[in-house]
Amino acid sequence: MNNKNIYIVLPAYCEGKVIKEVIQSIKNEGYNNIIVVDDGSTDNTYDVSISTGAITLKHTINRGKGAATQTGLDAAKLLNADITVTLDSDGQHNPKDIVKLVTPIAEDKADVVLGSRMLGEKGMPKSRILMNKIGNWVTYLFFGVLVTDSQSGFRAYSKKALESVYTSMDRYEFESEMLGQIKDAKLKIKEVPIKVIYTDYSLNKYKHHEGFSAQGLLNGIKMVVRLIENTLIK
Amino acid sequence: MILQILVTVGVLLFVFPNLYSSFKKKSLTPTAFVIWLVCWVAGLVLIWFPHLIDLIGLSFGVGRSIDAFVYVAIVYLIYASFVQKLKTNEISKDITILNRKIALKDINSKDKKDV
Repeated sequence: MNNKNIYIVLPAYCEGKVIKEVIQSIKNEGYNNIIVVDDGSTDNTYDVSISTGAITLKHTINRGKGAATQTGLDAAKLLNADITVTLDSDGQHNPKDIVKLVTPIAEDKADVVLGSRMLGEKGMPKSRILMNKIGNWVTYLFFGVLVTDSQSGFRAYSKKALESVYTSMDRYEFESEMLGQIKDAKLKIKEVPIKVIYTDYSLNKYKHHEGFSAQGLLNGIKMVVRLIENTLIK
Repeated sequence: MILQILVTVGVLLFVFPNLYSSFKKKSLTPTAFVIWLVCWVAGLVLIWFPHLIDLIGLSFGVGRSIDAFVYVAIVYLIYASFVQKLKTNEISKDITILNRKIALKDINSKDKKDV
C-alpha cells in the first residue's frame, strides 16, 4: 500500500516529553506525513515537534482535544489526503496498528475505521471497561450510534468521510459527536481491534481522566452535561 | 427614612449619570437605556411608596406581594442565564474557529507549496 497520501494527525497538549518518540515510531512504520496540532501547550511540545520535521500547527489558546483534532483533519483536507488517521500523542496507541485501520478504507470496504480497545483487549482495567461502556451508551442515547469503543481517538477516515464531517464540540465529547455525523452522512463504519500501550506516562496522565476515580467520574459527568447543552444550544 | 434617602441619593448621584454616560458612549441602545431608566425609577417609586407593591401583587393574583417579585426575579434569572449561556457558547465557538484559521494559515502559506 502506498503511504504517500496517508496523513497522520496528532492532537497534542503538553506532550513535550514523549512527542518526539511518538513521531519517530510512526515514521518507523513508513508514514512520513505527520500533522501535529499543538493545542496551546505550555511546555516545549511545539518546538520538539517542529524539530522532527512534522507539519506542526499551533492553537494559540488551548481549546481541547476535539478542536485540535478537527484542526488536524482540516489540515489533512487542505493537503489533499486520501486517508487520514488520528492517534493520541501520548504514545498509548501502537503505530503498528495503523495498517489495520487504513486497509479497509484502501480496499473500499469502509469510510471510517475505529480502533477499538474493547475488541479482544486483554488486561484492560475493569474500571476503564466500565467507563467505556458508559461512554458507548451515552453516545447511543445522544447520537443513535452503538459501537464498542465510542471514545477511542485512534480512527481512520477516507477522503469522502473528511468531506462529510465537521465537529463543533471542543473537548472529549467530540468523539461521540463525530459518530453521530458519520451516521447522518451514511458512511460505512468498521471497527478493528487495537492494542493500548499502558506506559507509566500514559497511565499517570489518564488515571484522572479515564480511571474509576472521583475525578474520572466528574469528567464523565461534565461530558454528559456538555452533550446535553449542545443538544439544547446549538 | 434615612435608608430611603441614602438609596435615592445614591441612585441619583451614581446610577443615573452612569446610565446616561453609557447611553452617550453607545454602550447601551436607546431601548436598553429606556428599560433600565424605567426600572430604576420604578425602584425609587416603590422605595418611597411601598404599599404600591401590594397593589401589584394583588393584580397578579398573588396573596403576598413579595412572592410576585420572587417569581419574576426567578424567571428573569433563568432567562438571563440562558442568554448568557448562548453568548458564551457563541464566543467559545468563535475563538475555536479563529484559533483554527490562524493555525491553518501556516498550511496555506508554507506546507501546501511543498506538497
